[in-house]
Amino acid sequence: MNAYGLLWGLLLALLSTAAQAQNDTPPQSGIWIPNPGADLWKAVRQRGQPEPSTTQVQGLDSNQLINVAGEKFRDWRRERFIRYAAYLLAGVPVVILLFHMLHGAMKLEPSGRKLLRFDLYDRVAHWLLATVFLFLAFTGLLLLFGRFVIVPWLGLDAFSPIASASKEGHNLFGPLFLVALLWVFLRFVARNLPAWRDIVWLLKGGGAFGGKHPSAGFFNGGEKLWFWSLAVFGLLLSLSGLLLDFPSYAPSRELLVLALVVHGAAAVILVAFSFGHIYMGTAGVEGTLEGMRDGTVDANWARQHHDQWYAEMVREGRLEALSEAQENRAETTTGQLEEGRT
Amino acid sequence: MTVAELVDGPLWTVALTVFVAGVAWRLLVLIATGWKRDLSHPRSGSLGGAIRGVVGRFLPSQGMAGRLRLHLVAGYLFHLGLFALLFFAAPHVDFYRDRLFGFDWTPLPHWAFILAAEAAFLGLLMLWLNRVLNPVTRLISESGDHAASVLTFLVMLTGCLALARSHETLRLLHFFVVELFMIYFPFSRLMHSFTFLLSRAAQGAHYGRRGVRV
Ligand code: HEM
Repeated sequence: MNAYGLLWGLLLALLSTAAQAQNDTPPQSGIWIPNPGADLWKAVRQRGQPEPSTTQVQGLDSNQLINVAGEKFRDWRRERFIRYAAYLLAGVPVVILLFHMLHGAMKLEPSGRKLLRFDLYDRVAHWLLATVFLFLAFTGLLLLFGRFVIVPWLGLDAFSPIASASKEGHNLFGPLFLVALLWVFLRFVARNLPAWRDIVWLLKGGGAFGGKHPSAGFFNGGEKLWFWSLAVFGLLLSLSGLLLDFPSYAPSRELLVLALVVHGAAAVILVAFSFGHIYMGTAGVEGTLEGMRDGTVDANWARQHHDQWYAEMVREGRLEALSEAQENRAETTTGQLEEGRT
Repeated sequence: MTVAELVDGPLWTVALTVFVAGVAWRLLVLIATGWKRDLSHPRSGSLGGAIRGVVGRFLPSQGMAGRLRLHLVAGYLFHLGLFALLFFAAPHVDFYRDRLFGFDWTPLPHWAFILAAEAAFLGLLMLWLNRVLNPVTRLISESGDHAASVLTFLVMLTGCLALARSHETLRLLHFFVVELFMIYFPFSRLMHSFTFLLSRAAQGAHYGRRGVRV
């Protein structure tokens, strides 16, 4: 039996003796039969007991046998949070699928002329963040929904190692997310400063529902919204995660509960948002992925989706520079140009 | 025989044998092959050159440092992290004592073990991403390079998943991947863990003889 078990046993034995001693007093009237457990549980829950129990176990609230607020939080997490998170995370892909079926991909007619969009550092930072995020999302969602999805499906014995592995992996990769997030933030922030045209872009839904394609700079309003959501929720996610990684340093249990709420909510929001981002980066808009893979995009893609950036590149003569280099030696152009930039 | 018995018993013996014999064989062959005698008059000592070659290559040559910044940082993060994990993580030290050497040494404290793991993961991910995203390294990478990276990553990942040391299944999974890694090791790019010393020394000695300063 470990220290906690021993403590529990001793406290329960003491409390039940105390409760019995109270119950030994004969009832005043002939019909009142006190519930022998009532006083015990009152004491265990420390209702109306001003003096907390004492224990030698070091830790937050370790002198409390049952934390009533914690139970309420657990019920809220199970009954509400997990349910609404499931609706959101299942709903977003359905909406994306419907949109794709109705709207189809935004097509690109390649011009064969390329523009350098992301240098090597941009790309490594992006994919580092994406890899770590997706791993954390996968393990985090296993921990959130495992009890309701994996347990009925594979049973408790199978879920136990899955949960342990997810927890360890999640804890270890968490700090890497903060490192990657800061790196991406520093590299991309200058290109994500808000401008009036971004609001117009967002109000027009990026031109997805007809009409002329709204004007955009290097990043459009939707991308900037993703960037800033990632910055804010990502930071909240990281800070709350770090607190949960080191619970013994938390000043109070309430703060830990708050960290759990913030962590869960920020994670679910970002995962839902990431579905949209991944869709736009792959099947949604032709020619977009190439930028994050090879660093270059087709000139027509730039003109179509980022007209102001395109105009700037043309003004600076970047289009010609890359196209000429490409004609000379197609495979190495990105590398050569990057070397000049990084 | 259960899977657990197989992984803990015969497969471990096979993996260890292939690893030790394979590495020894390849190193012996390399050393025995030697290299062509250089008949030219030596301009300076080859030993000094060999030492300079081994030590000097820990830093990139001037002029390359800027271009290799990412490689340098990620490379050191990964290799130092992995070295610390491999030889100084408490579960590994226990393993070496119980299954290999019969003695142990002071392991890293838990926080340092975790820090080393973070560094190793960060470094490996950055190195592999650089490999596939840099058009030049992508072009010169072969399936063996990717296999070595992926297998190393899987060894580290399964180790990290088993960190709680509370589930036999997770320990066995990690051990099984380690065994695959050991069997693959002598036939692959992973051999550079040993051969880098030979190649640096040979190249350094060659340059030393010719009086080339790198
Ligand atoms: C695995 C699937 C993913 C794909 C295919 C993908 C693809 C892309 C592409 C193609 C771009 C460039 C868009 C452009 O040229 O305008 C981009 C930008 C970006 N991605 Fe991803 N991405 C993925 C996952 C993620 C994840 C998981 C995150 C973050 C957690 C992320 C964060 C970003 C950020 C911050 C940008 C820059 C947007 C801006 O700064 O406004 N991506 N992504």
